Amino acid sequence: MTKSLSKKKKNSGKLRTIDIVRAGMKSRRAAETRFKIYGRIAIGMGLLFLLVLFSSIISNGYQAFVQTYIKIEVNVDASKIDPQGKRVPEDLSRANYGGLIKASMRTMFPEVKARRDKRQLYRLVSTGASYQLRQLVIDNNDLIGQTLTLWVPADDEIDMLMKGYIDRESDESDRRVKDKQIAWIDKLISEDRVEKRFNKTFFTAGDSRDPELAGIWGAASGSFFTLIVTLLLSFPIGVAAAVYLEEFAPRNRFTDIIEVNINNLAAVPSIVFGLLGLAVFINFFGMPRSAPLVGGLVLTLMTLPTIIIASRAALKSVPPSIREAALGIGASPMQTMIYHVLPLAMPGMLTGTIIGMAQALGESAPLLMIGMVAFIVDIPQGAFDPSTVLPVQIYLWADSPERAFVEKTSAAIMVLLLFLIAMNAIAVLLRKRFERRW
Amino acid sequence: METTSEIEASTNEAVVKETDKTMSASTVEREDRKTVGENLVDNPRMTCRDVNVYYADNHAIHDVNIDIGRNEVIAMIGPSGCGKSTFLRCLNRMNDTIDICRVEGTITLDDEEITSKHIDVVPLRAQVSMVFQKPNPFPKSIYENVAFGPRIHGLANSKTELEEIVVTSLKKAGLWDEVKDRMDKPGTGLSGGQQQRLCIARTIAVSPEVILMDEPCSALDPIATAKIEDLIDELRQQFTICIVTHSMQQAARVSQRTAYFHMGDLIEVGDTNKIFTNPRHQLTEDYITGRFG
Repeated sequence: MTKSLSKKKKNSGKLRTIDIVRAGMKSRRAAETRFKIYGRIAIGMGLLFLLVLFSSIISNGYQAFVQTYIKIEVNVDASKIDPQGKRVPEDLSRANYGGLIKASMRTMFPEVKARRDKRQLYRLVSTGASYQLRQLVIDNNDLIGQTLTLWVPADDEIDMLMKGYIDRESDESDRRVKDKQIAWIDKLISEDRVEKRFNKTFFTAGDSRDPELAGIWGAASGSFFTLIVTLLLSFPIGVAAAVYLEEFAPRNRFTDIIEVNINNLAAVPSIVFGLLGLAVFINFFGMPRSAPLVGGLVLTLMTLPTIIIASRAALKSVPPSIREAALGIGASPMQTMIYHVLPLAMPGMLTGTIIGMAQALGESAPLLMIGMVAFIVDIPQGAFDPSTVLPVQIYLWADSPERAFVEKTSAAIMVLLLFLIAMNAIAVLLRKRFERRW
Repeated sequence: METTSEIEASTNEAVVKETDKTMSASTVEREDRKTVGENLVDNPRMTCRDVNVYYADNHAIHDVNIDIGRNEVIAMIGPSGCGKSTFLRCLNRMNDTIDICRVEGTITLDDEEITSKHIDVVPLRAQVSMVFQKPNPFPKSIYENVAFGPRIHGLANSKTELEEIVVTSLKKAGLWDEVKDRMDKPGTGLSGGQQQRLCIARTIAVSPEVILMDEPCSALDPIATAKIEDLIDELRQQFTICIVTHSMQQAARVSQRTAYFHMGDLIEVGDTNKIFTNPRHQLTEDYITGRFG
């Protein structure tokens, strides 16, 4: 044993390579294992955070997709809304439908006499109930004089009670739903007059001060018009700029300066673009405030650097042998570009564009500057109508004091994420389509 | 990511040239570097006079005078970095695509000067087309690869005419029998030798007058090489061919005339047989006997 050891020592002067390698293998393997563990931890952390984010958003927001409705019988009293019996549309739209709803509530609870109690009773149903009734009557005059059975949205506080956000056991002064209201609601529940239904309003209405009447559709269409303007401007301009700079422009100091500036623009805080848009598009050119057109222009400025940089990278990655092949048989630079380089660079360009668009979709800061933060109830019909966008809507709702807006906020975030996932899916599909050809 | 660009290759060539110089300086210093042999011919297709090429400050080619005859295959040989590819790329102004490259001197094609700035390179390259070292088919179908040239130049008036051009070009390139059943398959799916023949078919589809080949067989195996050499021999009937090659055997097999380049100088031009059996210049002899290169 000692002999062989001493022998080894004697030979240590000329150890074979394989012995040195073997001796080092253990620490090499350990290093590799450590690296793998670090990587797995990193990915695990990422997934964990994602999971926490999604679960908190979904658990907060899923209830916003349903809404509590109350069944009431309304006597559409002709003497109250159309005393002359002429059925003039103007008079009909101006009539006091709220009174009819109130009367129906009174008939349901005849024992409520005190004025203060009555006011609390009326608050069980949403103010939207009278609009709903008015629309029904205007659409169909024959309903006048009949007694209708209507499902009307409950007030947001009642909705919160039904969804279990309000603790019945807590002190009455600590909650906005009073004991009497809870008693009335329990009576209604026992009569099967209360039901949670799919919240169509959330997907079809614009913004509102009343949470139960507020919807995402106005902001979604605002985002849509804004992104259309952004896409129509930034994709062609960005690709054209990238192609020119990469393939045609001479390399000199001037193009160097342009290149540096494009890279710098990509790092400019987005709110600065908002200020620029306010100064140039609105104050100087006199474009409408809060309009998706201006929003689109501002976001175009913001996404252009992203698209140009991504497109140039895509163009650079096209092998030069392809260009030479085309040039070598007499194709003009333009033909080389259009027939060969552009199709090969297109997947990369599209990816860059979608990333830029996704950024634009999630951007709120520059849009605050150009007035897209206004409270807008109407749903925009085009790029010139005042509107807001999804992230700004989220910001507005997150800022509202009503408890019911908390779940609306989370629901709006879900809608925004859905949009983003859809856009990324489109990017992946487009890239696959272009790449699959060869 | 494709990182090896032609530009890099060309500048590397210049760097290699520098090292070559120091390595073999002792053997060539005493030699006279003027061109010997028959560098000029009667009734040439292309003439090159006092051609100098610079990569930025690097003088890559010195005062080259050479004629390229009609319907001949002229081979350009020489050690790596001697400037033969650079010279070849002057003939259809492919060097224009390299920013730092500057070409001086006069090159004519059928008595028309092609080196002036006012000449449009697009029609020039349709007349003097190029096949590259690495097979570079377009990532499109085999049909589209060949049809591209005729289409952009408007050589075919109808679809059937275009198809005819494609088929004849592929037949001339000896590729038709191998690809006729898969014309709509990508050209990049062919084997290396087939790809290079596809590139040659693509080039002859535009019916150029001169075909430049930059080491067309360097990436191919001997069988594919033999096929391409046979093809070059046939194409000679119709076209003038300049071929740059590393292989002296290939130069001997396919060419009628051979030009030997050494470190940017054109050392010797002459009939291929003469050059390989009885070189006049010491440098040529050193190279073909394998003393360097």
